[in-house]
Amino acid sequence: MACAIRYSATWISAVADPVIREALLSALGKILEAQFILSTREQLKPFECDGLSVYKALPMVAVLPGTVKEVQAIIRLCHQMKVPLVTRGAGTGLSAGAKPDPEGLLLVLTRLSSILEINSATQTARLQPGVRNLAISEAVKQHGLFYAPDPSSQIACSIGGNIAENAGGVHCLKYGLTIHNVLQVSGFTMAGDPVTIGNGGLDNAGLNLLPLIIGSEGMLMVVTEIMVKLLPLPSQVEVILAAFDSIEKAGQAVSNIIAQGVIPGGLEMMDNNAIRAAEDYAHAGYPRDAAAILLIEIDGSAVNVSEQLQSTRQVLQDSGVTSVKIAKTDTEKALFWKGRKSAFPAVGRLSPDYYCMDGTIPRKSLAEVLGYIHTLSEQYGFAVANVFHAGDGNLHPLILFDANQPGQLESVESMGAKILEKCIEVGGTITGEHGVGLEKIRQMPMQFSDDEISQFHSIKAALDPDNLLNPGKNIPLLKHCQEYRALAKNLQPNQLLIQHEPTA
Amino acid sequence: MQDNAHILQDQVQQAITEQQALCIQGGNSKAFYGFAVQADLLDTSGHSGIIEYEPTELVLRARAGTPLIEINSALKQHQQMLACEPPCFSQSATLGGAVAAGLSGPSRPYRASIQDSVLGCTILNGQAQILGFGGKVMKNVAGYDVSRLMAGSLGCLGVILDVTLKVIPSARAEKSFVFTIEPGNSPAFINDLRKRGLPVSATCQLCAQLMVRFSAGNTEIAELENRLKEHYSFIEWRESQDHQFWEQLREHDHPFFDQASTLWRLSLPADADIYGLADKPEDVLSEWGGSLHWLKTTKSADEIFNHASVNNGQATLFRYPAAQQPATIFQPLAPALEQWHKSLKAAFDPLGIFNPGKMYTQD
Repeated sequence: MACAIRYSATWISAVADPVIREALLSALGKILEAQFILSTREQLKPFECDGLSVYKALPMVAVLPGTVKEVQAIIRLCHQMKVPLVTRGAGTGLSAGAKPDPEGLLLVLTRLSSILEINSATQTARLQPGVRNLAISEAVKQHGLFYAPDPSSQIACSIGGNIAENAGGVHCLKYGLTIHNVLQVSGFTMAGDPVTIGNGGLDNAGLNLLPLIIGSEGMLMVVTEIMVKLLPLPSQVEVILAAFDSIEKAGQAVSNIIAQGVIPGGLEMMDNNAIRAAEDYAHAGYPRDAAAILLIEIDGSAVNVSEQLQSTRQVLQDSGVTSVKIAKTDTEKALFWKGRKSAFPAVGRLSPDYYCMDGTIPRKSLAEVLGYIHTLSEQYGFAVANVFHAGDGNLHPLILFDANQPGQLESVESMGAKILEKCIEVGGTITGEHGVGLEKIRQMPMQFSDDEISQFHSIKAALDPDNLLNPGKNIPLLKHCQEYRALAKNLQPNQLLIQHEPTA
Repeated sequence: MQDNAHILQDQVQQAITEQQALCIQGGNSKAFYGFAVQADLLDTSGHSGIIEYEPTELVLRARAGTPLIEINSALKQHQQMLACEPPCFSQSATLGGAVAAGLSGPSRPYRASIQDSVLGCTILNGQAQILGFGGKVMKNVAGYDVSRLMAGSLGCLGVILDVTLKVIPSARAEKSFVFTIEPGNSPAFINDLRKRGLPVSATCQLCAQLMVRFSAGNTEIAELENRLKEHYSFIEWRESQDHQFWEQLREHDHPFFDQASTLWRLSLPADADIYGLADKPEDVLSEWGGSLHWLKTTKSADEIFNHASVNNGQATLFRYPAAQQPATIFQPLAPALEQWHKSLKAAFDPLGIFNPGKMYTQD
């Protein structure tokens, strides 16, 4: 769930040990200037949650180191004192992966925001974790290059956070996720020992550990430097806006486009509720009466683009499209995308709160799952706006509700759990790009067996034996798995959400 | 088509009971790669067959023992392919072996590596548990990404039972051109081709000859020569008619690899030097835009590993004479990383059943 705003979580009393807290603060004072150590309630309040504000807690202490050396010293201190450590980037995550631990230290890496090197010969950039995603493409544009993964939060989110979550975006279908666009990460183990994964070449020495670290939600190491792969900017980009009178036809068109051998740069779908919200908000020129629209971006060389444009138009006609618009100017292209990229805030205006899902399904099941969501929407009485990365089968249904109405949050969460269950049933996953964090930890036992979850715990114990890095996220405890499975069936999913706040 | 998962599981269970190590083998096409393993054989070749292939989903799932040629043939019928063009080295090569070896072919920098293509897998771990990770969708961030960790693990963590891969549409047309260009200038030249939007899909440099393959739609390939004329009149180039070239390169059937009893493979940043390690320029063949090098040399292993390390890359002693017992085959690891390798090996295979010593002598 994401962005379900305006309602407060349940607080229980703090658990931080005052003796440990004082000792920690005193030791931190020898590493960092006082202004970068935050310990009062007022100072800590802005860091109580990430982009998923329903899960919040004040950390025992938050620190903002400005050098890699300081980061190492802080990690060593936490290791020595056995203090849990949660790493935070820009705080835009949507699964509470960066929710502070009330007994722990919050390591905020936003001050490490330098682009260390841009190498146009090797088409790579070396970055500190606090560099904003969009800032990478902006900085390398002068070399005719770009960094491909582009999550919707790219204006604010940091590359360090992208590493933690294996962030995706609208161009993943063609250019891959973060994992496909990173060559090397360096940082520290929880013992504070330096470790570098990957290298400046395209192959790894030893085990292929980059996929283990990228997407590990800050639970295996702290990353302080990243080398990303850059791609040449395509010489031509065309954006098609295709409207359909039924969701099924739009879904089928997506499969037909892929089947003809074209991999578009982006292939996004929105349903009528999302279209109207986005159009009212961004005035993107979307047809308000369409049941669904597809946004199709085709990029590459001029000849290739023109060839693919022609074949895609034909496929759209054969799939029963009702109207096709091709953006004529760069402004119009940007406008078509603005509607899509602002869909979340646009939908946010329709209702006091919304609940954002992130399930991913095989493309062929699109119509079936959307039909199921529609049925649930009627059963539960909540409107749903559907926005999704259709090319990847990554759904973002936004369930509209009002958290101030007693029982609505619980009801929405149970509807969300049913949607995720359906995603797994058709061969998909509970999370395509937002991560598990705390939000989807109860759904993990729906996707994984106890043996698989035990294997995850063994991996965690192998790399972080004291369980100090971001404890309690991503992988549920085995003793809770049966309970979660039962809860998912009995539709009482909010029962285990106990939030903590220290009495700082 | 046969599902032998439970037979393999029983064999692993028996090995655990008897505390007997196992040497995992698929098609036995890459046994030369890595250290030799002295252990009982666990033959996965019988666990074979494509389980699921949906061309419109761009997804194929097959059992580990499925021959690569069977997979390539199934994909070809639908004008699709494995993005990384993995080498076979023998007709018997299997999907499980290709993934476990983690070797990618000529298209790797321009399409994907084999690990990039892995969407999910089922494994047998060292406790004889059958575990599934990842899935069959392009985006999946639930739990740790164990399926891609299996790619290149050389069977040291577990037995791969089946793999789900993302596949790609084959290009409608292809042409290759030979450019006369000094190796030092090639990476910049290849970057220039790509910045002009020319659809480079593989490169190979030997001395002053750079072969470049272009893959795209019919019109684009038909117009390629005109575009090359427009931009590259200042260098010598011609179209290549050697249609077997890329397959021969991938399979090491190219004459460069003849009589190479000792062959090094170095993965380096494209701007790093390689010729300092060679006795003569013709002992280096470079692929991947200048970031993968095959090297025949008399230099010591220490010198080669050190060169790779200083240049932020890695080296592997890819082939060596059967009689030789090299001390090191893979790039030595930094201390923290070496510790992680040991811990992860123990996390998957606590009794050290699978392929002991295959990757590092101490694993």
